[in-house]
Amino acid sequence: MSGSMETKNASPERVRVRNLPSTGKLKGIMMRYMLKSKIVELFRRKSAWVTAGFPVEICYVYGVHPLHPENSACISGARKYSLELIEHAESLGFSRDLCSYFKTNVGATEKGIKLKQGGIGKPTFMGSTNTICDTHVKWFQIQARRMEVPYFGFDIPSAVAGTGDARMEEYIDYVVAQFYDFFDFMEDLTGKKITEKKFQEVLRKSDKLCELWHEIYKYRKDVPTPVAFQDTLAAIFPMVLLPGLDVGIKYYQALLKDIKERVAEGKGAMPPGKEKYRLIFEGIPMWYRIKFFHELANYGAVVTYEPYTFSFGPRKRLGLPLDESLRDFARLMIDVPYNYSLEKRIEYFEQVIDEYNIDGVILHSNMSCRPSCSGMLDLKKSIQRDKGIPVWVMDCDQNDPRSYAEGPMKNRMESFIELLEQNKE
Amino acid sequence: MVKRIAYFDASHDFPEQIAMAAGLEPYKILGNVHEPNDPADQYLQSFLCPAARSMLTEALTGDQDWEGIVIAHGCDATNRFYDIWKRHVDTDFLYWFYNPLNDTPSAINFFKVELKRMKDVFERQFDVSITDDKLWAAIKLSNDIKGRLQELSTMRAVKDIPNRDYFNACVQAVQMPRKELLSSLDETINDWKGRDAFPADKSPVLLTGSDVTYVEWMDTLDDAGLRVVRDDLSIGERYFARLIPHPSEGDPLDSIIQYHVTIPRPATKNPPEPRLDYLMNAMEESNLNMVISQNLKFCEPYAFDSVFTVNALKEKGYQVIHLEREFSPTKDMSLRTRLEAFREMATTNRVEKHSRL
Repeated sequence: MSGSMETKNASPERVRVRNLPSTGKLKGIMMRYMLKSKIVELFRRKSAWVTAGFPVEICYVYGVHPLHPENSACISGARKYSLELIEHAESLGFSRDLCSYFKTNVGATEKGIKLKQGGIGKPTFMGSTNTICDTHVKWFQIQARRMEVPYFGFDIPSAVAGTGDARMEEYIDYVVAQFYDFFDFMEDLTGKKITEKKFQEVLRKSDKLCELWHEIYKYRKDVPTPVAFQDTLAAIFPMVLLPGLDVGIKYYQALLKDIKERVAEGKGAMPPGKEKYRLIFEGIPMWYRIKFFHELANYGAVVTYEPYTFSFGPRKRLGLPLDESLRDFARLMIDVPYNYSLEKRIEYFEQVIDEYNIDGVILHSNMSCRPSCSGMLDLKKSIQRDKGIPVWVMDCDQNDPRSYAEGPMKNRMESFIELLEQNKE
Repeated sequence: MVKRIAYFDASHDFPEQIAMAAGLEPYKILGNVHEPNDPADQYLQSFLCPAARSMLTEALTGDQDWEGIVIAHGCDATNRFYDIWKRHVDTDFLYWFYNPLNDTPSAINFFKVELKRMKDVFERQFDVSITDDKLWAAIKLSNDIKGRLQELSTMRAVKDIPNRDYFNACVQAVQMPRKELLSSLDETINDWKGRDAFPADKSPVLLTGSDVTYVEWMDTLDDAGLRVVRDDLSIGERYFARLIPHPSEGDPLDSIIQYHVTIPRPATKNPPEPRLDYLMNAMEESNLNMVISQNLKFCEPYAFDSVFTVNALKEKGYQVIHLEREFSPTKDMSLRTRLEAFREMATTNRVEKHSRL
């Protein structure tokens, strides 16, 4: 137990997680995107608010500029503006228990904050799905009414545990029918018809991004891992918002080049010899407190896999006729890690634990994302039982700093590190 | 011997008539607010819907005689908790039914696919043939029940009907075997017809928001002098405001779909406008002035909707109070005081408004 006592009492020395050299390029990409968003707003070009889980690629097919309120809310969180915006939304009557992204967005639009603070312009329309949560639907229903813009909501049936192939095909039929409804909606809005050529081009670029993302993830299996969450948490941006453009592809190619160089040199994201514990972090991070992950690093713990960031990169099947492509797309909307059934989620986690040499798991029991928290206690028990590694169910919130209590969080982190240490022994 | 099929849905999402046509008695799981949620809390965090946790507790701990359980899509709690029920609830048959989010033609086509699938599965599982005749008979029986509930409902505004009496009649409608239910509702109608007139010391209100699943909360309103004469709750008007279309010919499944997309829509559906339309119409139709909007703690769909709904009703000139409530049967005196103050303010405003006319 002497090791545990050391962990508990001594302040660990600071360990610096090394970002990939090309990570810095993201800032320029985001600035250019924001500039374009501003131009779109000023010249009243077509734009759309979309959420995670929405087929953003279709926006590019129609030449509509996508805006992402969740992404904007992250920016507000990371830049420490979210609390003020959340409290403003609560002053309008929205409950403290509602999603902090949503309230950040309500506050941001009411106060008209700048894009670099997480502001976002009024769109031509809003589009979301219920595949991840009801919140995505309710959020845009509310904001579309407030801003008096049309809303399109994809209804994605839930593939619960035990959903068979035949039923899955019926679900896909339904989603494909909604794609065609959406094409009609877009045609009315933009006056443009969908062209298969453009669709395939966007899909190809989107898939290229995902292919590169998968390759990046493949390298994360290496010990030491060349890439930590400190890189990937922001690097998802091109998949979230730029799947129809080349800029993200070039960025990911640059990241991969850095990674390959690191691996060739036998170096990792952590300084030599400092990577002690490899972790999975499940859920959206606490954007206002990214320091949390640096503090973990001080104990030698590095987040090596995040279902959250991996989820944004599902591979598409290319070269299919439109209808077949849409079926493939529909399947991806129904069946991705963030909406896996509990059975599939457990299987997925356990496979990742093996493939990525994981020593422990942090499950973010996130007040703002209740659907992702459902089943978490079963997931924890299963991992502990089947894989014999520590799991920390961490109560917190993605964008509301009021939920992060420094002292208790530090204690829990230390206790978790102790468990990791004991388990290693 | 009555064969019961239990269901867990977010509002009024389960197509009971298929179960009835299969010779089963639908039983809506409502949980028990008097029992702690410890059994469900082994699997679900305390910040997840307390009513849904109570329903899981009922399924985990009750001495049930159910032939099986259907979970019907409504909100995230139904989708995401299904897997937990599948893992931990001891039942021979657990079925997932997806009641669509939207009311578009695509959604309606899909609704039919889901209904047909459920019908086929029930036929195989319970070794019965679900014919159109049986479905029409189930629809007729459902309409008989809904018609009686409508009759009871209209008496709320003219007779002395405590909130708990109305609530209990609605609970019976979703839990009691159908044949017994009809005679019970007939007795209730006779009883209510003989009641005194609407009491002068009570104020009529419309109740909206999260579904109320225990009678004590209805008592709190009565204690504060508030009588619910209109609502859009699932244990309430959502269940009986519309009859299921019964044309001389056609497909009974189409009628069931038509019914589900025209009932008072809950906050879990898209688009949101029909819900507000129903509330506005009810206020006007019943010449009401006061609205109680309430939200069960952690019930997200209604919490999201409440701001827009409350503001829209206020803009129309109605007196509205919005409350958040815990899932608890305990009398809450501070809540009662707020309700009494609301009533006093609303009735004073109304008198002043009329004296100005």
